[in-house]
Amino acid sequence: MKSAFTYERAGSPAEAVALLAKHGPDAMIWAGGTDMTLQWQQEKVSPTVCIDIRDISELDYIEIDNSGIRIGAMASLASLERSADRHHILTMLSDITKLMATPQTRTLATVGGNLCNASPAADLSPAFVALDATVKIFSALGARKVSMLDFFKGVNKTEVGPAELLEEVFIPLPDDGDVQASYKRIDRTVVDIALVNGSAAVTVGSDGVISKVGLGLGAVAPIILNAPDASAALEGLKLSDVTREKLAKVAAIAAKHAKPITDVRASAGYRQDMVEIMLRRSLEDSISKHGGTL
Amino acid sequence: MTVLKVNGRPVEISNRGDRTLATALREDLGLIGVRVSCAEGECGSCTVLVDNKPMTSCLMLAQQAKGKEIVTIEGMANGDDLHPIQQAFIEEQGFQCGFCTPGLILSTKAFLAENPNPTADEVSVGMSGNICRCGAYPYIVKAVLKAAELMDETATA
Repeated sequence: MKSAFTYERAGSPAEAVALLAKHGPDAMIWAGGTDMTLQWQQEKVSPTVCIDIRDISELDYIEIDNSGIRIGAMASLASLERSADRHHILTMLSDITKLMATPQTRTLATVGGNLCNASPAADLSPAFVALDATVKIFSALGARKVSMLDFFKGVNKTEVGPAELLEEVFIPLPDDGDVQASYKRIDRTVVDIALVNGSAAVTVGSDGVISKVGLGLGAVAPIILNAPDASAALEGLKLSDVTREKLAKVAAIAAKHAKPITDVRASAGYRQDMVEIMLRRSLEDSISKHGGTL
Repeated sequence: MTVLKVNGRPVEISNRGDRTLATALREDLGLIGVRVSCAEGECGSCTVLVDNKPMTSCLMLAQQAKGKEIVTIEGMANGDDLHPIQQAFIEEQGFQCGFCTPGLILSTKAFLAENPNPTADEVSVGMSGNICRCGAYPYIVKAVLKAAELMDETATA
């Protein structure tokens, strides 16, 4: 049977963590609540208290400065979608949100909620990992920072502790040159989660040399994976020397990190083959966005 | 009891936490124009406007709507005068069985508020969160375009 629960509304991060501390482990945070309400209805979670953080407007922002892009945890997927013209990385993230749910659900759903749900097939997570994002986690003791890669601990498990709240995602922008990123996925139909996905972020310095490569592999392990050895194989090359063959090799190295399973959605072998292609296409797309010819 | 503002009027619903907005609107308030079909936020039948934004009321808790303005299909007409969007759906026959129509009309209201003069392609994307199982999509697109036209006339009249 679905659990019965009471409702509390927090007006600030401090209030939210105080309510979590007060009510204990069966109190659960509702951000947009689109995953939580569903999981409660499906009896996957049985909260006794709902702590609604929807009204914490101080965490609803998307800000850009020279150091990077800050996305407040309570920014909705709809506001991320509408931020496309503010920065080319936001254009790319906006395109990702259009693959997620429906317009009505995107007005409810939040970026922070999507990350805290920690689905291995989540759409934003591989891009954030590729972009080397960090998250800020709030607690009564202050804020701490964790890399996006270390944030995910397992299916529906994150680094956020029992009396903590995800506050912000920070995407660093390079001091020199520019970063371009891309995300590709395979889905069965619209309004579907990815069977497998991949993302790449490539930074090219003002000298035309690739200074940093980030990769994110999704739905091929309980958490989002990166591939430092594959990244290193591309770093240091001149943009003008990059070829399709080189990118295919990098994608093949990266795909070796995948540990896919077979489930009702896809077989392990299919996921293994496709993640390589998703990464190759993401890399090709990122290089093309830099003006590189392949 | 919890007080919500629905269709311009303050109304009382149960203050239980564990109920969706769709359930409260239907069962406490008898607003059965809120249709629940998939109950998973995919089909858009249960779409209502919350502070003018379209939201799937099956994925929202009733208590989350406290202090917000909610509009359901019952709040669209002004007495006996249909809203131009309702009129347009009738004129263009933008439905067959009508089950998904309330959600479509509310999505149309939010969509046209953001894009008052859309192209047919923009309508298709804008309405992508509402599934019509009868497949009346070509007529729905015509109805939304007609609604834009009627609302433009009303605005300039």
